[in-house]
Amino acid sequence: MQSDPAPGPPAHDIAMWGAPGSGKTTLLAALNIALMRRKDDWKIIGSDAASSDYLIERTNALSSGRVFPEASQSLEHYRWTLVGPTERHKRRWWRRLRPAPPLKIGISMVDAPGGLFSAAPLRTGNGSGGVDDPRRRLMDNLVKSRGLVFLFDPIREFELGDAFNHLHPPLTRLAEKMLETGELRDGKLPHHVAVCITKFDDPRVLETAEKLNLLDPAPDDEYGFPRVSSEDARDLFRALCEVSASGNADMVVNALDQFFDRTRVEFFVTSSIGFFVRPQTKTFDWHDYQNLLPEAGKDLRIRGQVHPINVVEPMLWLGQRLASGGSR
Amino acid sequence: MPEPDKALLRKAVARAVAGLTATGRLTIVEVAADAMTVFRIHRDDNGRPRCHYWSLSWGDLTSEHGWGDESPRQAVLRAADLPSADEVVLVCSFPDGAEASRVLGWLSEERPAAVHPVDGPVTAIVEDVLASDPLSRSYDLVVMRADHPSGRLRLGSKQLFPIGAVPGTRAEVTVRCEPGDEYGTAFAVVTWQGREPRLLSVHSARLTPGRYLLTAELMRPGKVRFTGLGELTRDPRDWSDLVAAAPSQLPPRTGPAHLICAVEVCGPDAKVEERLSRVRQVVSFLSAELAGLLRVSLVAYGAHSYDDRSQGEHPVEVAAWQVAPEHALAALEPLEERGAITEGYPYYPHAAQLEDMLDAVARRLSTSEHMRTVLLTVGDRPPHPVRANRSLILPCPHPHDWQSLLSRVQRRPDTLLAAICDRRDASAHPAWRQLGADAVAHLDALDIRGLATDLGLSAPAALPIPFPLLDETE
Repeated sequence: MQSDPAPGPPAHDIAMWGAPGSGKTTLLAALNIALMRRKDDWKIIGSDAASSDYLIERTNALSSGRVFPEASQSLEHYRWTLVGPTERHKRRWWRRLRPAPPLKIGISMVDAPGGLFSAAPLRTGNGSGGVDDPRRRLMDNLVKSRGLVFLFDPIREFELGDAFNHLHPPLTRLAEKMLETGELRDGKLPHHVAVCITKFDDPRVLETAEKLNLLDPAPDDEYGFPRVSSEDARDLFRALCEVSASGNADMVVNALDQFFDRTRVEFFVTSSIGFFVRPQTKTFDWHDYQNLLPEAGKDLRIRGQVHPINVVEPMLWLGQRLASGGSR
Repeated sequence: MPEPDKALLRKAVARAVAGLTATGRLTIVEVAADAMTVFRIHRDDNGRPRCHYWSLSWGDLTSEHGWGDESPRQAVLRAADLPSADEVVLVCSFPDGAEASRVLGWLSEERPAAVHPVDGPVTAIVEDVLASDPLSRSYDLVVMRADHPSGRLRLGSKQLFPIGAVPGTRAEVTVRCEPGDEYGTAFAVVTWQGREPRLLSVHSARLTPGRYLLTAELMRPGKVRFTGLGELTRDPRDWSDLVAAAPSQLPPRTGPAHLICAVEVCGPDAKVEERLSRVRQVVSFLSAELAGLLRVSLVAYGAHSYDDRSQGEHPVEVAAWQVAPEHALAALEPLEERGAITEGYPYYPHAAQLEDMLDAVARRLSTSEHMRTVLLTVGDRPPHPVRANRSLILPCPHPHDWQSLLSRVQRRPDTLLAAICDRRDASAHPAWRQLGADAVAHLDALDIRGLATDLGLSAPAALPIPFPLLDETE
């Protein structure tokens, strides 16, 4: 892992948010893989040794076909920095060529299974009953950040339907904090939110998008993967919410609309592992695109190469929005 | 020498009874020394003459007012009810009595008729006439007739006694008796009213299946006695019960057949062993049942591999194709010794190469062959779909469409689909309902004879035919 090329803290912070098991860790590992494939100098770097190790471990697992490492049983707080390419200014006669400092975006993730974001009391792994501390840390994290990546796992929502339970309590407390500090803007939170609809590679999600005619042809994609544009992603999100197991997913949409300025919310249809492509054809095949292979028991393995879809775009969108001061 | 009165009376009564229509009524009034007796005779639904009679004594008539009053006359006429009769016969057994003469006079005034003198009891004469009355309708035995090409059974009748037959007449019929129902074989006699049968009598006997020369004797109107069958007992069923008991088909005749056993040989070892053991049992059973008429094919299939880096697929294995049962059993041995295959990584754990098996079978089946063919699939995993879908089962790598392949096999003439599934109906994949479209059994509770019977490969242990069979082609 590289060291931070530019000293000092990142200019902006993004917090990753989502129900336990919604794929935060996998998305992060996929982000690392996707950045390495882009060859445009964006990179993700751990902000401390534990975060670097965590990223290395998860990236290696994903790239070697092992999927969805077990979420940790105790609270863990990780920080990374997304470092952009160095921008070179044109030479002027009165000054020497000097590179502009690269854009740096901090990404933080508090990873703990089973309800850190939910309303239920949390017990930490050592059993010491430190309920308030992680929540305070999470809240500090959210208050400090101006960009949120909210992961919505449509399959989890279809089977469990708990997205609202993990969104609403911290959102309410965040609004309370921001009200205290006078940081609400027109009654809304000042954050930019990238809503990531995950598991686009699952036939249930892809078929829903296909049925709603939301799939765009992607002539520039080297594999011909289908995609859903950000404009259409909100419609897909609503459609997927309609089949929520709890029937509460519509409140997820409403909560986002209530707490955030709609111009600051963008939807992305993502897949951390992407679609399967045969090494011989290197082309997306509508008949055979599932990239998860079940093994005996409940274990899953990635069938072919990992081709993350739309995992960089939410980060860059947030980075650009934050760097430009938030105006649209 | 003139006929005696008794003979003349008998002749008159017999003539009157013979002339009774289905709805006609005959009234005979016997006027005796101290009473009169009224005989009312009609025919029942089977055309059998039935008689009711009652008496009225002079004492009853005159107890209150004596003969001088009008009421005895009215009582006599009311009791005789002559106007309702189609024919009247008056009989006098005490011509010298004043009371008898008076009563006969009242009756003759009401309905003029010849008065027959007689010196003995009229009851015996009437009973004798009724018992020897010639049949007014034919008596038929209920039989089943078989149409051998179609195997269809029809309920019908065979005439025993024609109209006019008299008691003592005998008839012989040769019938075949199959195993009967709980009552045995029913020997039912009917008459016909138009196209409607009327049950006259039914007796049953538990008979050893075989051919019987049946002798029926008309004892009297309404009573037929059968001999040549052993002991018959009265059967309490009515006509609708009997009709309901009649089967519509003969037991199937088994002919040459091609049994294709397709066995899933992936999964737990014990399951694979049990599936192969079931195949051995089925082949052995049908081999004995169909003697030299059975051909057997044996196909083994496992799981697909989706890891291109591994050694690749274990393809569907056609271990035997249309061979004699003993050769198929020999081909089963190596499969039994080998046990489960394609288990663990990189083989797919939740489905099997069913669609590849169907492709292998469909390609080998000739369309010109005219032989009952049964595809018996033994296993429990679902097939792979032809393309990715919500089942999440990865599509067949080749890619075969199991539904169209199964339809192709099913559309073939005289081809049936049977399945022995590890799972019960509710938990089995819907594909197994189609694989077992004609017969399905559970691995742990296999009734081989029942399965074979459902597939027309074996006659049922006993298909009850509760009536004598009349085989007119024999």
